[in-house]
Formats: sequence, structure tokens, C-alpha cells
Amino acid sequence: MKKEKSRKYRILQALRILSQWAFFALFLYLFTRTRFTGSDVIGPVERFFHFDPLLALTATVAGRALFAAFAWAGATVLLTLVLGRVVCGWVCPLGGVHQFFSFLFKKARLHKPRDVSAGPLKWKYFILLFVLAGALLGLNLAGYLDPLSFLYRSFATAVFPALGHAATGLIKLLYALGVDGPAGTLGQFLETLTLNPVYLQGFFIGLLFLAAVGLNLLRERFWCRVLCPAGALLGLLSLGNVFKLKIDKTKCIDCKLCSLQCQTQAAPYPEEDWKRAECVYCFTCGAVCPTAAVGFPTRDVPRKEKRVSLDRRKILWTPIAALAALPFFRINPAGRRAASSLIRPPGALPEPAFLSRCVKCGECMKACPTGGLQPVLGEAGPEGLWTPRLVPRIGYCEYYCSLCSQVCPTGAIKELGVEEKLAVKIGTAWVDKNRCLPYALGKPCIVCEEHCPTSPKAIKLVDHPVLLPDGTVSVQRAPFVDTALCIGCGICENKCPVMDQPAIYVTSIGEHRSETNRLLLDL
Amino acid sequence: MRRRDFMRDVALGGLAFGAAGRAAFALQTAAKPPDLSWVEGESPEALTRSAVAALGGMKNFVGRGDVVCVKPNIGWDRTPELAACTNPEVVKALVEMCREAGAKEVIVTDHSTNQAARTFLRSGIQDAAKAAGARVLLPSAFRMKKMSLGGEWFKEWEVFLDVYEADKIINVPIAKHHSLSRVTLGMKNWLGAIGGARNQLHQRLDEAKIDLSRFFKPVLTVLDAYRILVRNGPQGGRPSDTELRKTMIAGRDYVAVDAAGATLFGIKPEELPFLKMAAERKLGRLDWEKLRIEKRKV
Repeated sequence: MKKEKSRKYRILQALRILSQWAFFALFLYLFTRTRFTGSDVIGPVERFFHFDPLLALTATVAGRALFAAFAWAGATVLLTLVLGRVVCGWVCPLGGVHQFFSFLFKKARLHKPRDVSAGPLKWKYFILLFVLAGALLGLNLAGYLDPLSFLYRSFATAVFPALGHAATGLIKLLYALGVDGPAGTLGQFLETLTLNPVYLQGFFIGLLFLAAVGLNLLRERFWCRVLCPAGALLGLLSLGNVFKLKIDKTKCIDCKLCSLQCQTQAAPYPEEDWKRAECVYCFTCGAVCPTAAVGFPTRDVPRKEKRVSLDRRKILWTPIAALAALPFFRINPAGRRAASSLIRPPGALPEPAFLSRCVKCGECMKACPTGGLQPVLGEAGPEGLWTPRLVPRIGYCEYYCSLCSQVCPTGAIKELGVEEKLAVKIGTAWVDKNRCLPYALGKPCIVCEEHCPTSPKAIKLVDHPVLLPDGTVSVQRAPFVDTALCIGCGICENKCPVMDQPAIYVTSIGEHRSETNRLLLDL
Repeated sequence: MRRRDFMRDVALGGLAFGAAGRAAFALQTAAKPPDLSWVEGESPEALTRSAVAALGGMKNFVGRGDVVCVKPNIGWDRTPELAACTNPEVVKALVEMCREAGAKEVIVTDHSTNQAARTFLRSGIQDAAKAAGARVLLPSAFRMKKMSLGGEWFKEWEVFLDVYEADKIINVPIAKHHSLSRVTLGMKNWLGAIGGARNQLHQRLDEAKIDLSRFFKPVLTVLDAYRILVRNGPQGGRPSDTELRKTMIAGRDYVAVDAAGATLFGIKPEELPFLKMAAERKLGRLDWEKLRIEKRKV
């Protein structure tokens, strides 16, 4: 028999790879544009997220609110209903990353495809069920494993900061070598990108990303096969699949290469085993088939179609487990009393509503011009892991900036214009008189007052006498915070020259979004 | 010849030479440009051009082939009508004049307080300076280098190399209220040409300002007092914090420029410790009114 690969499927495969690169490039472009680029209005740089039906579903169900931008997810749903999981195979940027590394690992002979159990494929469906059951109960768990949130968060808080440090090292090296011209150009380019250099947990989030990439050593696109709840949702929506796998039995030589090389274990051989809910239409099978036997014509479905077998009992148990998990998420005190260090970005919804919407994607952290928005660890309870908070010692809230509120894909941070934002109080500054230079040491300072951006300033100066050990009295101008004017931006804490533990610091008290975290009674 | 005789002869010779020099100086005075210009008028650009022209033109300060750093205050994320940063038209005029005088390259930069990408843009200085042909450089950490300042108090600090490495430095501050120094003028502007933990310098701000001024040695200081900030300094926030004074003060003597500038706020120069100290160290004149001043209206 004539051995010849299918030209058509090799072209389709090339187109698919091109499409993956194109969407990854678009993702990166929108990622790098998520910064101050000269306008107070940033544009829809977060649009990718709106095409994600998982985020749309969880934010709507858990948040008990409709968010108009998620109408875009309808396009993904329609596409999947008609064509199957093409979005996983052709569009998803994280899918592209995994496929790229799978390819690399195979080329480097670090991974050799072999026949593996299909058992773990069902995990992603259980993860999805768990997430959806949580959403019904008002708990938004999508952010941990949603592919877009995972990728964006990893890029924003780990990969790009690390790249920034690498670039800085290169620039320093170029200067050291005396190549000032290129060093200067590269340096200015890096400054224009304004990559925030430090993130709490950046190392940890980066390790998780590396681990996710490393899993491709075990199985190609491990994430997409086993973990991805968005992929599972699209799998469940794969009802129509106009194009269905067909193996021409007159050509097939039973080499099983198609099944072995299948990116997502959809098992094209034998044809009866093909699971259309797992197929992402990458066309690897069609392209690798040595006799061009594999094709995807439009045809009727065989009545008994293969799907990943989900044990009915386990299906039942998953929401029950989610139900049982909910109280555990709520054991901590975060729901009762606001943590003093939990300074949410301006426009953030009241805490329960915020948590039900936030998908921990890190868009706001990427947009923050000072790098002050940082991933939370424990301050907001287990639900709040990796949600944003302002850490003024790292970066303050820039006065005329409302970018974080504009890029939030789920409306957890309400979109604000700059004028509206100026009126939003996110916390209150406090002077630690035991550490403040004028109060404690009788030395001049005023740095906090100088930086206070409101007019009139929220930090007033009062003459303060200090009795010094030699018996003399030093009178210095010392800061006094007018809590009615203070918006909690934290620039005072950021610029305080007491380097370790600042002499002026912001806590969340008085934040406008909370009715309980109140300071002065003003009913 | 004995050693002592030699010394005496040399000293006498020196005296004679000095006397001759002074005579020659006296002859030249008529042609020599004034020490200070004080110009009032409508357009910031015309004010700037006139203020420099009154001092004999930019050719007196910038030579052919020089790399010039024009150092405005671009510290704050504020628009020009809030008078927190130097007026962009003033910067533009200076860049153009430097280029007309034959400068090889004109660099405009500042180590800003708010995010530089924002302050450079919102102040209008980035666009204005670029349009005039300047290289506008965002400050970056790897352009800060610790070096000896050789100051009386201020020995060593991180210096912003893009300012320091220029052949000629022109200081273009804006006149503003400041709650520690009372006013921030030219000498305080050098805090934008250094890196490190600058906020700690407020403990010895006067000494720092003086030593930094000595270190950077501007060939020219142009004080932008077109619109000055009279309260809530140094960044203001409301137009009502500003006053339109439509004035430009320029001179080689940065102490005298600051002394003249202080009077805009109704402050006598001798009330300001940093000016008194600078004058005592003979860095410039506190009694600026006794200098030869060219006053103009445009």
C-alpha cells in the first residue's frame, strides 16, 4: 500500500500552530498594554477573560449578578456547541504554552509518548463540578485553575518580573562592557514597559507555573487533559461537533500512531473509541498518520459514543464534597472583621461581593503603576488567596490613576473614572509617634506631608516640642492626619524615610466600601 | 636667590598681575552681560527666550558640540495649570536655544517622585521637549551610581548619571511652596538628580541642597515663575493653590536666582537658612539686588 501522509491535515496542523501563536501573541500584547500608556482610559485589554465561559458562569452564579461583558462568552459557547473544543486547540494561550512545551520536551527526548491510562481524564470534570457547586453556594473557586487566570497571574507576578530582572542584569552588563548606546536604548524600553519588579508570593506562584509546565513531561498537555475546569466545561458543551473523526479502514495499517500522538488522549484509534469531548481539533492525528487514513468529515454520530466515564456516585459526591468544604472556607475570621492590612483597590465591591467575583487573575496587579497591588496570602481567608491588596510599602495608589478598576474582568472592582476614584477612600493613615522623626527624635522631616496628594492635604503639620536628653527642647513640624481628607492611598507610608517599619502607615479602617469597617460615626 | 626672596617676588608679581587684571576687567564691564535677568510678560516661551537673551544669549553658556542636560522639575503627576512641575513651554524654549547654540545633544530628564511615565507625560514636558529635539530619558535604577560628592556635609550618594555626565547642566526649577524649606527653588531641584533614599535627606535638607548645588554646578539657572505654587506645596492639586506671576528669573549665580525667587513669596532671602549658608560659603550672592540686573517686559 502507498505510504503517504495527508497534505490537507499537515496544512491544517500548520494553521492551528499559527493560530496558537497568533492568539498567544495577542494575549502578550494585551498583557504588556495593561499599564499606563499615556491615557487615563486603558481600553478593553482584559477582553480574553470575557470569552471564558467558566469565568462567566462562576462570576454570574457566585456573584448573583449579571456582568454585561461576559456576553462575549456566548461566542465561545456557540462555537463549542457547533465545532467542539476548538478553542482549547486553536485559541487558548495556556493551551498553546502547554502544547509548545510538550513539543519541546518531545524534541529534546525528555518525554516519549506512550500508552497511558485514561483514568485521570475525569479529574477535570470533578474539578469543574466542585467549582460549579461552590459557585451555587456563593463561593468563587474558578480562579485557582481557570487557564486564563492561571496564566495571567503567573505572567504578571512571576514570569515578567523575572524577565525584568534578567533584562536589568543584561543592561548592567552592557554598561559594564562600555556598550552604552544599546544599553541606554534597552534601558529606556524597559522603563517604558514599567514591569513591577517585586511581588509577594511571586516566587511561589512562579513555581506553580513551572510545575504546570513540568507536568508536560508526564503527559502531553497534562493540564488540558487532567486539570483544566474550563476545558471540562467546553467538553460538556461539545454536543454538536460538526466534524467527526473517521478512519478509512482500507488505508489504516493499525499502527496506533494517531492515538499515541493525540495531544489530549481523545483516542482516535479505533474510531469507535474516539471521545469527541476530549478532542481539541489539533489535527495531530491527521498529520502524523503515515497513510492519510485519518480524517474529520461531517457525518452522523454512532449511537453509542465514547465519553470519559464518570462514575455516577462520584458525580453525586463531588457537589456534596463542595457543600462540606464551604464551611471550612468560612472558619477563618476574615468574614467577621476586616483585616487591617487588607486594603482593597479603589472601586472594590464590599468584601463578600468582591470575593464572589474576583478570579485572582492579577490584571489589576499588572495595571498598577507602582506595583502596590499584591497577591493576598491569608488576610482574606482561604477564598481570598491571590486576590489583590495594596501594600503601601511596596507601592502606593497613584492619585490620578484608576486603571485597576478598568481592567478587572469580572467587575469585582467597579469601573471608575479618575474623577470618581479621587473620592474613594480605601483606608486611613496613622502616625506611629514612637517612630516618627519629629515626634520621637525631635528631628525635621515632613516627607509624608510633602507627598500627600490631596488638596488641601490630609496630612497637616503641627509644631511639636520634644525634650531632648541634654535638657534642650526641639520643636519640629510633625504630621497630623485629617482622617476626613485621607483617602488611604499610602504614598505617605511608601515614602516614609523610616525604612523598615514605617512611622506612618495605612490600615483598611474607614474604607468606603464597608459599612462595618468604620472609624468615625457619621450617620 | 634665597628661597624667601623668591617667594616675595612671586607674591609681588602676583599682586601686580592681579591689579592689571582688575583694570582690564573694569574696561570690559560695559560689554559684560548682566548677572541676573528678571523678565515679565505673557508667554512662558517668550519670557524664557528673553531671560536668556538678556544674559547675553545661550552661546554664553553652551558651546558647540556640548551635551547639555536641561533639568526641569518633572516630579509630580500634575498638569501644568497646577504648577507642580516646570512649565513645558519653558523647557521647550531652552532645548531649542541649546540646539541653536550648537549643542550636540540636549537631554531632558528628572528622577521623578510619582511614576515617571505619568509625570513626564502629564506635565507636558515629554512632548514639548521631544518636539524641540531633546532626548527625553526616563530615570532608571541602573543609571544611579554611588559616588563622592565632595561636599562639606554630604560626602557620598547615588547620582543620576544622565544628569551628571552632561558637559553642561541647566537647572530649570519651578517656584513652589514647601513646608520644610518654605520655598523650593533651584537648589532644591537637585534632589531630582540623585537616587538612593532621598527622603532621608530632609533631616539635613539645607546642607544637602548646598552640597548638591556645588556638585552639579549648573552653568545657568532659569527659575520658572510663570505660575507659582503658593500653598499645598510641593505638588498642590487645585488651580487655586497657584498664582499667575508671569515672571522668569535667570542667572549664572544660583544663590542669587533663589534669593530673587524667594521674594516672589514675600520672603526675604536672609530668612532662609539655606541661602544664608550658601552665601557664607561664597557659593553666590544673597544680596541679589546689588548685582547687575536686567529687567525686561515682553
